[in-house]
Amino acid sequence: MNFTSKLVQESVEAFSSLPGIGKKSALRLVLYLMNQPKETTHDFTAALINMRENIKTCSNCHNISDTEICGVCSDPRRDRSVLCVVENIRDVMAIEDTGQYRGMYHVLGGVISPIEGIGPSDLNINSLESRLEKEETKEVIMAVSPTIEGDTTIFYISKKLKDMAVKVSTIARGVSFGGELEYADELTLGRSIVARIPYQIKGE
Amino acid sequence: MKIQGLKLTQFKNYDSGQFVFSERLNCFVGKNGMGKTNLLDAIYYLCMCKSHRGVNDRNVVKHSTEFFRLEGYFLNEKKIEKKSKSKIKIVAKVQPGKNKEIEKDDVAYQKLSEHIGMIPVVIIVPDDTLMATEGSEERRRFLDNTLSQLDGDYLKNLITYNKILKQRNSALKKFAETRSFNAELVDIYDQQLIGPAQVIFEKRKEFINSFRPVFKEFYQDISSGQEKIDCIYSSSLKYGDFANQLKESREKDRILTRTTCGIHKDDLVFRIETHLLRKFGSQGQLKSYVLSMKLAQYDFLKKNHISNPILLMDDIFDKLDEGRVQQLIKLILEKNFGQVFITDTHENRVEEIIKNFATDYKKFYIENGELKE
Ligand SMILES: [Zn+2]
Repeated sequence: MNFTSKLVQESVEAFSSLPGIGKKSALRLVLYLMNQPKETTHDFTAALINMRENIKTCSNCHNISDTEICGVCSDPRRDRSVLCVVENIRDVMAIEDTGQYRGMYHVLGGVISPIEGIGPSDLNINSLESRLEKEETKEVIMAVSPTIEGDTTIFYISKKLKDMAVKVSTIARGVSFGGELEYADELTLGRSIVARIPYQIKGE
Repeated sequence: MKIQGLKLTQFKNYDSGQFVFSERLNCFVGKNGMGKTNLLDAIYYLCMCKSHRGVNDRNVVKHSTEFFRLEGYFLNEKKIEKKSKSKIKIVAKVQPGKNKEIEKDDVAYQKLSEHIGMIPVVIIVPDDTLMATEGSEERRRFLDNTLSQLDGDYLKNLITYNKILKQRNSALKKFAETRSFNAELVDIYDQQLIGPAQVIFEKRKEFINSFRPVFKEFYQDISSGQEKIDCIYSSSLKYGDFANQLKESREKDRILTRTTCGIHKDDLVFRIETHLLRKFGSQGQLKSYVLSMKLAQYDFLKKNHISNPILLMDDIFDKLDEGRVQQLIKLILEKNFGQVFITDTHENRVEEIIKNFATDYKKFYIENGELKE
């Protein structure tokens, strides 16, 4: 694509470096912004810079947060007796969207998969243990994807929690959430959290 | 199951090609390297979602082209309801940067494993002797190939077992690199391996039990020898609890950074009289042995599958002399095998034999990846 303007070319390249945006869409966005008042672009870039400079990870649950402690962890109306263990922050968003869950979260940051170089110590498992020691959690819900690696992770964590006074449950497996929590439709996911089942440790 | 038509695009040495087959017997004739075997492989691909002998898809695409496509038109004749015939179209698409796709009647499978076993197939090739001469992997491949086509549950457990095994081995490697050891994680993998291992072990054991007599019968049919042959299933799971075995070999596993016991170490012991076939069998006995394995595999699939398998035979004259081939073809035609494909380098050799039997057949002359009329 020949732009005749280096300024336009740089902006197009910036946009098209983002996932899912090709050169043509990038040019459309740049031309759009060019024809809007300057403030539109200022507000747009300011929002992005502000997000990038100030976004934090909640020191308690590892969810994304604007503050040291996230909105869920600091909300006194949330039910502190249940804690939902998820793989990533998008799972938190998916479950929040169902509107059927009022408990707490803990973001693991993945599942155990040595093939991809992820061992238990690479995940937020230690911090989960120390949370459970001091918080008033009665039930831990494992909302981890129904894969072999997900199974390993649930199994591993459940064994760690075996001697604590918490009940472990899993969300109904085999419900059609396409392998990944974030693609679950809200109704199915919401229902499977409500209809969760107690977890039985294998071989015991 | 029968294949009525095949269309190839940029598959191996075929630029494009179209075939209409006999529902009984088909012969591909032509010189070596002209592409007869590639046609058998194309049919095999549509049944098993991969090239036979595990050739990488990149090497299946015609030289200097990017993608390949196979289209097969199958006729489904279930043995129980003889009248219900239905047509099925299977398409295989492989292109760079995309996952391989297999479609059934224009709908892509989510998992390729769902397709395995729908169209049962047996392929007989000169390389089969590797089963007798090479390591145990070849013989496990034979077991897995047979059972996967019959039993979706077997295939599912096998896939699960292999995934967990890979993770366990990766974990052992990582521990060695970081000079650490997480016994709790290894415990979990052990627990996860036990269920699938037990299922696979039981199914393999049961299979070999019913396979052995059929296999022996075929061997007597195609070899005139009086020697006693046998095929014995060997697995560590025969000797006690797998959970204990894992525990006992853990230290060894840790040092070697791989899992040293389990069904991925299973083997078949090929015997002739009281000796190992590999060490004491003649070339002729070896060839007859593996050919009997394959024919028995065909027979086993035929008896246990709802549809008749397709039989692909590459270069049978490599295995047997002309008299034996005649005997074999007689056997195949009399024992009511389903659809059969044969390749031969001599234009008329197979035809001469077939003439003696009243059967429907078609001959295809192949030259440089093209069908010559
Ligand atoms: Zn938080």
